[in-house]
Order: sequence, then C-alpha cells, then structure tokens
Amino acid sequence: MGFLEALSISKVFGGVAALDHVDLSIKEGEILGLIGPNGAGKTTFFNVLTGLYKPDKGEILFCDQRIDGLAPHEISSLGIARTFQNIRLFTHMTAMENVMVGRHCRTQSEFFRTIFITPSFRAQEQAIQKSARELLHDVGLLDRGNALAKNLPYGEQRRLEIARALALEPKLLLLDEPTAGMNPSESEDLMRLIERIQKRGISILLIEHQMRVVMNLCHRVIVLDYGAKIADATPAEVQKNPAVIEAYLGTSAHA
Amino acid sequence: MKKGAWFGGVALLLVVPYFLQTTSFAFVIRLFGIAGLYMLLALGLNLVIGFVGLLDLGFMAFYAIGAYTAAILAIHHVPFVLCVLAAILASTAIRVIIGFPALRLRGDYLAIVTLGFGEVVRLILSNWDGLTNGPKGLPRVGETIPPASLFGFTFSTNLHYYYLILVCVLGAIWICERLNHSRVGRAWVAIREDEIAAELMGVEVTKQKVVAFALSAVFAGLAGAIFAHWEGFVTPESFTFWESVLLVCAVVLGGMGSITGVILGALCIVMAPEILRSALGSSFANARYLLFGLSLILMAIYRPQGIWPSRRRTLELRPLEPEDAPQETLYDAEQK
Amino acid sequence: MILQQLVNGLTLGSLYALIALGYTMVYGVLLMINFAHSEIFMAGAFVSLMSYKKLSTFLPPTEAFVAGILISFLFCAALAVVIERVAYRPLRRAARLAPLISAIGVSIFLQNAVFLWISDQSIAYPQAFEVKHFQFLGAQMNTLQLLILGVSLTLMLVLQFFVNKTRLGTAIRATAQDATTASLMGIPVNGIIAITFFIGGALGGVAGALNGMYYGSIKYNMGFVPGIKAFTAAVLGGIGNIPGAMCGGLILGVLESMVAGFIPNGSDWKDVVAFSVLLLILLFRPEGLFGRRVPDKV
Repeated sequence: MGFLEALSISKVFGGVAALDHVDLSIKEGEILGLIGPNGAGKTTFFNVLTGLYKPDKGEILFCDQRIDGLAPHEISSLGIARTFQNIRLFTHMTAMENVMVGRHCRTQSEFFRTIFITPSFRAQEQAIQKSARELLHDVGLLDRGNALAKNLPYGEQRRLEIARALALEPKLLLLDEPTAGMNPSESEDLMRLIERIQKRGISILLIEHQMRVVMNLCHRVIVLDYGAKIADATPAEVQKNPAVIEAYLGTSAHA
Repeated sequence: MKKGAWFGGVALLLVVPYFLQTTSFAFVIRLFGIAGLYMLLALGLNLVIGFVGLLDLGFMAFYAIGAYTAAILAIHHVPFVLCVLAAILASTAIRVIIGFPALRLRGDYLAIVTLGFGEVVRLILSNWDGLTNGPKGLPRVGETIPPASLFGFTFSTNLHYYYLILVCVLGAIWICERLNHSRVGRAWVAIREDEIAAELMGVEVTKQKVVAFALSAVFAGLAGAIFAHWEGFVTPESFTFWESVLLVCAVVLGGMGSITGVILGALCIVMAPEILRSALGSSFANARYLLFGLSLILMAIYRPQGIWPSRRRTLELRPLEPEDAPQETLYDAEQK
Repeated sequence: MILQQLVNGLTLGSLYALIALGYTMVYGVLLMINFAHSEIFMAGAFVSLMSYKKLSTFLPPTEAFVAGILISFLFCAALAVVIERVAYRPLRRAARLAPLISAIGVSIFLQNAVFLWISDQSIAYPQAFEVKHFQFLGAQMNTLQLLILGVSLTLMLVLQFFVNKTRLGTAIRATAQDATTASLMGIPVNGIIAITFFIGGALGGVAGALNGMYYGSIKYNMGFVPGIKAFTAAVLGGIGNIPGAMCGGLILGVLESMVAGFIPNGSDWKDVVAFSVLLLILLFRPEGLFGRRVPDKV
C-alpha cells in the first residue's frame, strides 16, 4: 500500500495536545517538508515516529508494517534514521567511531569471536571501518575521521550526523532543522547534499524553518499548528494558503 | 601501552615474586595477590561505570555472592572448578535478574538501587544463619574450605594463588581490550555519551547494558570464588558498602573506561594504606579513607578524566579505492 | 500492641521525615541526590552533644540541651551550604556522574574526619532531662517520644507554611520547577539553592540531635543507614515533593516498627524491609505515592 502512513496521531503531555489527530503519509522517493510555527509539534512528531514516544491515539505503518509501539532501536533497524535539532553526536568519540556506531544494527556481534579475534570478526570490523570511511568520504569528512566529534566545527558536525544516520542504510531519513544556524552559502551546500541523498533512493522527511530550502527542495509540504495539520499540498500552494499565512508570520517566504 | 613494555611488565610480574618467596619481602606476594583480586573487580566494574557510564554502588554484593557460593560448595567437597563455575553462575544470574528492571532507571536512581541491593545482600548474609552462619562467617567450627586444586595440583601457598590470580587478571584485561575495540564496546561508549541518540541509531540499549552488567558479575564471581579458597574464610564484614565505594574510587580515580587507568587505580587502593602505614605509622593509615574522599571531590572537579584517561582509538584513514568511491559524493569538498 | 508499635513507628518516622526533607528539597532544585546529607545528620548529633557538654558546665541541663539543638541547627545548615558551594556548584554543568561522585567524596571525608579526630567508637549521649514514662490506651510512651514528635511536626508545619505562603518559598518552588525561567524572573538561583541546602541541613542536624538523644549513643557512621532509609522515604513520597517526604517518612517508620514488633526476629530484618521497599518502589513505581510520571522532553 503506502510507504509511510501515519494515521490520526495524537499525543498529549500533561493536558496539552502536542499532536492532534495528525495524518501524514510519505510516498517512496519523496522529499516531504514538515513546517509550522515553533511548538507546533514537529519534533514531537519525529519522536513519535521514531518510537521515543508512544502515540496516545493513532497508528503508524511503515512499508505496511505497524511501527507505533515498537522500541526505537527496532524502528531504526527497519529503516528509519534521523538527525536532531540540537546535534546529538557522541561527543567524546571520533568522527569515524560515530559513523561506526551507526552500523550497529546492520551488523552482529558474537562474544567468542570477538574475544578470540577470529577471521570472521576481523572481516566484520574491516567491513564496518570501510563503510564508515566511505560515508565520511561521501560527506567530505574523511580527513577529519580521527577528530573527536566535539572538536569539529558546527557545519562539519551537521554533516557527520547525517553520515551517521546514513550508516543505518535507511529507507527514510528524518532531518530536524538541518540548516539551523547556517548562512545562505552553507544552506545551499546542504540542500544539494539532501537532493543527492534523495537521488540515491532515500525518502526524506524534513523539518525546516528556512522557507527557501522548503520551497526549493520539497515535493510536498505539510503544515502543523498547535499540533494539528492545517495544510498538505505543494510548496507553492501552501505558500498561498490563508490558514498557513495566519499561523505563521505570513510574509516569511523570503527566508 | 607499547607491546614491549607490556611483555616486559608481565615477565617481571611472573619472575620477581618467585624470588621474593624466601626473602623478608614475601608479604609483597600476598599484597599483589590481593591487588590482583581488586583489579579483577575493578575491571568488571569498569565495564559498567567506565564504558556504559552507569553508577554502581553495590558491586561488592556480587563478589560476596561468588565467595559464599564457592565457600558453601567447597565445604561440601565440591571440586574447585565446579565451585568457580557455580559462583560465576550465581553471581551473574542474580545480577541479570536485578539488572533488567533496574537498568531502565536514570543514573541517580540506579545508583541508589545498586546501593540498596548491596546492603540487602549483606544483611541477608549476616542474618540467614542457617545458610551462611551469620556474622561468624564460614566455615563453621569443625568444617574447612579446602584449598583450590586444578588438574591434581593443589594451590597451597600465596605464590600459587598469586599466579592463579595473575592469569585471571591478564585474561580479564584481554577480554576488556577486545571488547573495547569492537562493536559492543562502541555501543557501550555510545550509550554513555548519549543513551537516547544511541538507541535511535539502532543500539539495543537495555540489552547492551544488561550484557555489561552480566559480564561484570562474571568477573566478580570468579574473584569471589578464588578469594574464598585462598582466604579459607568468608564473613559479611568483608563485603561492606565501603568496599564497594573503594572500588568506585579505583575506577573513577584511575580513569573511567581506561583499562590501564583502572588497573593503576586498583593498585593504588591496595598499596596506599601499606605505603602510608610504613611511611607514617599505623595511626595515619586510617587517613586513607579521608584522603580518598578528598581525592574523589578534587578529581570530580579538576580531573574528571582520571589519572590515566582513556583515549579514543585512532583508525587508519587511507583514501578509498577508486572502485569504492561513488560517482558523485553527497558533498563537494573540492568547492571549498 | 499495635498502638505501641504505631507510637514507636511515628516517632522513628518523624526522624526519617526530617532527614528526608533535606533529600527531597535538594533533589527538587538540583535534580541530584545529596549523598552527603546523611553525614550532615551525623554532624548534627555530634555538634549537639559537644555543645551540650560544653554548655552544661554553666547552664542547667535542659537549657544546655535546647541550646545544643539550636547550635546543631545552625551549624548543619552552614555545613550544608559550604558543601554545596565547594563540592557541588563547580559541577553544575558537568557530566551526570560528576556531582554524584563528589557527593560520595564529601560523605567519605566527613565520616572519616569524625572517625579520625573525634572518635571511632560509639559515644554515649546523656539524657538532658528526666524522661517520664506513662501509659496511654495500653501503650507505653514517654516524654522523649512526645518531644521528638512535637519538634518534628512543628518544623514540618513551619516548612509547609514557608514553602507555600512566603515569597521565598515561592521562589524555591519556582526554581525547582524551572531554574532558567526563575532566573529570568529575577530570582537569584544560586542564593535560592543555598537557602534550600540551608533548610535541608538544618532539619537534618536537628534530626541528628534528636536521634542521638533517643538512642542514647552516636557514632561516626550513624548516618549511613538512616540516610538510606530517609532517601527511601523521600522516594516513597515522590522525590521533590515536600509533603510526600513527610508522609513517606512516617509510613516507613511505622512499617519498620510493625515488622520489628510482629515478625519473629523482626528487629534483625527491619533494615531489609526498608531496603526492599526502596528497591520495589524504584523498580516499579519510581514516581512514588504522590509523584506524577513526567516524561522527559527529548
């Protein structure tokens, strides 16, 4: 049937409806934008989608499998990976190690093979390192591989977080404000990066505040306000939607 | 540490004690043996505190479970190897049973649960006279814990036990090193760094915590079984909260997560009182706890990484082979 | 018999409650468990005893005792504030484990300071006034129990009033809810935290003095077990919840007394009861009786 279908998702925190019967679906290969004023529930939706919260009502189907109620690591291994609004790298690990952790759910350990350094263990370690090197090369960070994540400049940290998410071999990538804090030139680079990810067959759900990014990148946009969906259309249509304009500042299309 | 230094050090540890046997420094052998037991414990605890980042304040309970299990079985003439296996099994099983619910708690709560459980174990050992002979300890009058024996060889002197412990410690170091540089070790450190991010990156956090928890109990059970046979005597007073605290000190002061650091920490914990005693007289030896308390505060504030901090691994970053490099990278580094 | 154990339990429980308040208030504002609090309790016992001994050379015993309690009130309050400033404040932004480790360090330091410089043995705590025993509805009671109950309940009522009806109390509650916003509202957060430690320390100190009087002896390590039990009480009531800590203390005290009174060999096993209660609550209902499960924001 569908690729990702979220049906009537509701989530309440202490009396406040963070999400209010939200329907959201993503087609395979699509870049879907998720926008809305601050506090509209976008990151909460990500958290529900990735299993950090259980929805109070509603269900989520990913490739026709119900994923609401599953543990976060199970959802990740099914093929949904994400980045975070406030970068959450493993700060005291190197860039390489951060990406290698991303390979965790695509590999397996066996205690005795680890202890006795059997050939199969060696082979797997080398494969993990090779994947990590390839991903770092892909995002232009191979020469920074042994740097501690906390020592990387902001833009590189964002790219590292994306590389780590890609290490999970996701079918769906959730990006939470990836261009936050970036100047226009950096945002351009990141936009190109996201486009290329999509060209490789990965679908993307993108939370963004910069309207330029949303307009140029997204095939479709969903707008949330006070936890409810108020629009679901192409970027051009959404831009003209009066309810959206009212919810937002209105003339923010020039971001 | 360089391989040469390692081999040199191990060679010294093997050879020197043999020659110390008949000298007036023979007591050093026993001291090193005790230090070795503490190293085993500290290495185990390091998996939980150092790698995964969980505060465990009741680790001694599992040393006690191992020791008492071995003692009770040995008194009933069970062979050494089976005593050891039973001790490890008991220790690990109970650790896992407590671990599953406890490991879902956040840091400070987990600390209190481990502390509480440690006390419960000690109280049970003190009060269940039927099984453990209470505060009087085991063995009871008229019974003995026979010395350990392996393949017909009986461990009867301090030197024998020292070598046994040395082998176990080296094995433990090997296991910890291997795990550190593997998928499991990286998962543990990721959990320590950011548990939620780790879970979202596909790490089964609770399971990995339980694995660390269980493995630490294996070390504790083994150490306990050896202790019971060597000492020939176990009482609840050997396994108090303060002993657990000393172990935490060894791990934190040594350098959380750092295998070398933790070994040094354990060595300090055991050697410091002796050094203080000979340097300052026995009344000052009691000051060791005072100094440890002070050092914990100072270390937490000024050197949280420990005496010998762990370092992350530098990996080889050779450029990709042409066939591995994609046609178009996601990011155009050349443009910068 | 039940009434007897109830009276014993409430007396014991009110001591636990006083100590528990220190834990719960600090946890409320700093989200940390002050491991050193049990040593403040111990310090209260020692300070009140030493003051009493000095003062009773020129004051009548009852007055000397009261003065001793007041001195331990102030001393322990100050001690708590100093500890916060020296061992915890530098670690406000540090990794999770750091303040916990520092707190353990303080605890070890204080215990061993007393061990080394005062005594490693139990010291007798003399009776400062004549304790009258009487019967009430079949239960044996004495005036000391009434004193403890009276002092504890008074202090708890004063604290409740202070926290809920005064500006300073409101500032504390605000800081506990959200320190950042509180500081934006002009509340001096560092000062509020210091005051929280002051109050918790003072109550713990008084509990120590009363405890010494009740049991007749004190020792350098007397803080450990009551500390854990008081923490259990705080968690039982919902950590961070002030009335909860009071209820939790009383409940735990009564539970312990019932076990000691009615179960064979109960007095050996009563400590196990306290720890088992702790484990069960933490494992299965960490928010306690009166707390609410609040999910963490990600």
